Amino acid sequence: MADAGARQADSAVERASAQPLIAVSGLTKRYGALIAVDNVDMQVSSGEIRAVIGPNGAGKTTLFHLITGVVKPTVGSVRFAGEDITGLPAHAICQRGLSRTFQLTSLFPEMTARENVRLAAQARNPRRWMPFGGDSVFADAQNAGDSALELLGLEHVAGRPAGLLSHGDQRLLEVAMAMAQDPKVLLLDEPTQGLSVEETAQAVDTLSRFLESSRVTALLVEHDMEVVFRLAHKITVLHRGAVIADGPPEAVKADAGVQQAYLGGID
Amino acid sequence: MRWSTVLGLAVLALLIAAPLGLPAFAMTLLTELVILGLFAMSLDLMVGYTRLISFGHVAAYGLGAYASGFMLLNSSMPLPFVVILAALMTGIVAIGVGWVCTLATGVSFSMLTLAFAQLLYAIAFKWTSVTGGSDGLAGIPRRAGPMGITLLTTKTGFYYFALACLVGSFLLCRKLVASPFGAVLRGIRENEAKTLALGYNTRLYKIAVVAIAYAFGGLAGALYAPFAGFANTELLFWLLSGQVLIMVIVGGSGTLIGPILGAAFFLLLEHQLSSYTEAWALFFGLVFIGFILFAPEGIWGLATGWFKRGDAAAKAKGSLHG
Amino acid sequence: MSTLAFLLNQSVNALSQAALLFFLGVGLTLIFGIMRIINFAHGALYMLGAFVGYSLVRWTGSFWVALAFAPVVVGLVGWAFELSILRRLYRRDAHAFLMVTFGLALVVTEAVRLIWGPDALQVPAPKLLSGVIFLLGEPFPVYRLFLAVSGIVVAFAIWQLLERTRLGLLIRATSQNAEMVHALGVDVGLVRSCVFGIGCGLAALGGVLAAPLVTASHSMAATVIIDAFVIVIIGGMGSFLGSLIGALLIAFVQVFGNYYLPDFALAFMYLVMLLVLVVRPGGLLGKEA
Repeated sequence: MADAGARQADSAVERASAQPLIAVSGLTKRYGALIAVDNVDMQVSSGEIRAVIGPNGAGKTTLFHLITGVVKPTVGSVRFAGEDITGLPAHAICQRGLSRTFQLTSLFPEMTARENVRLAAQARNPRRWMPFGGDSVFADAQNAGDSALELLGLEHVAGRPAGLLSHGDQRLLEVAMAMAQDPKVLLLDEPTQGLSVEETAQAVDTLSRFLESSRVTALLVEHDMEVVFRLAHKITVLHRGAVIADGPPEAVKADAGVQQAYLGGID
Repeated sequence: MRWSTVLGLAVLALLIAAPLGLPAFAMTLLTELVILGLFAMSLDLMVGYTRLISFGHVAAYGLGAYASGFMLLNSSMPLPFVVILAALMTGIVAIGVGWVCTLATGVSFSMLTLAFAQLLYAIAFKWTSVTGGSDGLAGIPRRAGPMGITLLTTKTGFYYFALACLVGSFLLCRKLVASPFGAVLRGIRENEAKTLALGYNTRLYKIAVVAIAYAFGGLAGALYAPFAGFANTELLFWLLSGQVLIMVIVGGSGTLIGPILGAAFFLLLEHQLSSYTEAWALFFGLVFIGFILFAPEGIWGLATGWFKRGDAAAKAKGSLHG
Repeated sequence: MSTLAFLLNQSVNALSQAALLFFLGVGLTLIFGIMRIINFAHGALYMLGAFVGYSLVRWTGSFWVALAFAPVVVGLVGWAFELSILRRLYRRDAHAFLMVTFGLALVVTEAVRLIWGPDALQVPAPKLLSGVIFLLGEPFPVYRLFLAVSGIVVAFAIWQLLERTRLGLLIRATSQNAEMVHALGVDVGLVRSCVFGIGCGLAALGGVLAAPLVTASHSMAATVIIDAFVIVIIGGMGSFLGSLIGALLIAFVQVFGNYYLPDFALAFMYLVMLLVLVVRPGGLLGKEA
């Protein structure tokens, strides 16, 4: 906990001077009568690790989809590094520096882990269009990919087809793929989903180490409260699509509304 | 894989030496195999490498054939030039086709490719002034090459030209699938959503591969017109789309070589069985279904798998100490 | 011809066309609803129905016998195909399905060519239905009226089957949640085979009915599958009502389009399909996301 406290103090100073990296404003998504995301405002500063939590169906993944362009908002806007990215297609948003992982593991199962991260890194290479010079594009991408694998402690399975990795390693591989793209912001959708207790502990250790050393800005959807309190600087709590609390972990823990809706309830 | 390079060079040597030893009817068959093999290989780019199932690839063949036939009949351009030009024209038209068809995915994509081929079929019937209607274009000459090189007017000369087109196309395609572009195609094949999420504009890649596949298919068609001497609506009939898809699957999709083998298998069956029974095409269809059910990797896939297991077994034996 | 008579005439044409399209589309959409696959062989089975109908008429001299039995024969062919081949593919991806049904289309098309020869065949309409009747002083072909009426009758029959019978209930339940139905002890495989067979039989029914009008020909298979697919797309994959609406829509577009712009019929269909696929990939009433 001392770690998180020190990090919070550091980034508090940073945050005070910088404009938010991600600024979500009045973001709403309606599916007919169902309001999945309800007028959400959120600001994430550079270097911050923000957890988005809430009961099932609270709209967390939809919020991610809205930010990354997978889903178009009904109302509201998303600004990234000062630019309005609302309504841009998913691939264009990714090209601007937001990389994400998915709630249900999404990889290239027949490619090896090395090939997976290479393909991820290749996407950010401006020379990937050229008909010649493919070898150097591959080399650069493989370097970036291999570094990402190392960062996530996956060197030992680098040559194995991704479909054959353990579930825990697959979740980490997805994070490695996102990191291989050298993103400005990392969006992790339930990285410990489906992991056993041991796997979760290992994953959290790895994630904690790498988040700290890389100083990347991260948005994290998580169900597991221990994981959240271990990793996050700030927490945003969603309930039925709307923000009901927003602040440092201690404050959110103490919030009565949150306790009633989420922490105190069955989860 | 070194054994495959050796094998490939050996086969190439045989193909180059073929006119010296084979009788005329066999050479005609071989030339047809080269053309059909090119046609099948072009479809593999879409089906095998990107998992874009096309039921309308005959559109590429027909476009190429009519384009080259028309140009050979109505102009004095040398044959190699006409053939390449026809292929390029097909590729350019295919950019539009790809743009439209990739508006949809999955089954809808396949249906759109079929619809386009049917559209072309209907146009070929109606636009008699250009296409000759149901009679088609006849008397297409095998014109001399540039600078009066008369080599191509002979059957052997033409065979070498077609072979050169096949080998050249094969090398280009192989380079393409091994390039970063090819890696993205593979990503689209395995998990398109993830490829998109990684920042690739997958639709553009799909349009590109359709255009390239149609260009090579058009090259095959463009070779067929002077080879057979005619171009007619049979070249746009949907059954041919089906047959070339069968060649790709039975031969082994995603390998470039497999489809060429599939074309060989198809032609062999056609010429061997058609003397016994008219039902060879039906038989071929049943073989197709059989392969999908029991051997989806195709003939080449089975062969390489067999070799790989042999390799692995040898390695395992040798590495007991490692 | 007065405008009213013209409109009435074309509308009868359109309704008769809609009936044929409906037989095609409803089978395809039912099969999709249950099995989540597009049966590419549907067009070929329609064609098979026409040719089997031709033979039955030749042997028995009765169009009505052909009408009754051709769908049964083809339905059994479909049922056998599902049982022996399609069953093995349920665990595989959608592309395998598509290609196998495409293979079936090829095999059926070739079989038809082998058995009945390469020429199109004339199927005579029964005496009762040939000729014309006069409405508003204009002649209307009786056969077309018969088709329109058959369409309505069959649509009603299928509706009742789906709503009132146990089989219909099972079909609807399975198309919504096959696992649940299985958990309740029903043989889902049997339901699937039945639906596939019925769907194929309906396609063949369309073929037999179409034969006196358009002759039994070999190009039917490919053109008709596109029509069927467009109907299912417009109406929505898996929706019975959707296939009815789709059939009516396409029939009217085709008939009136054919009158005003006869050369562009196919291009028009292609455009309609495109438009729908772009605007509403799930169709008007469909189950697809």
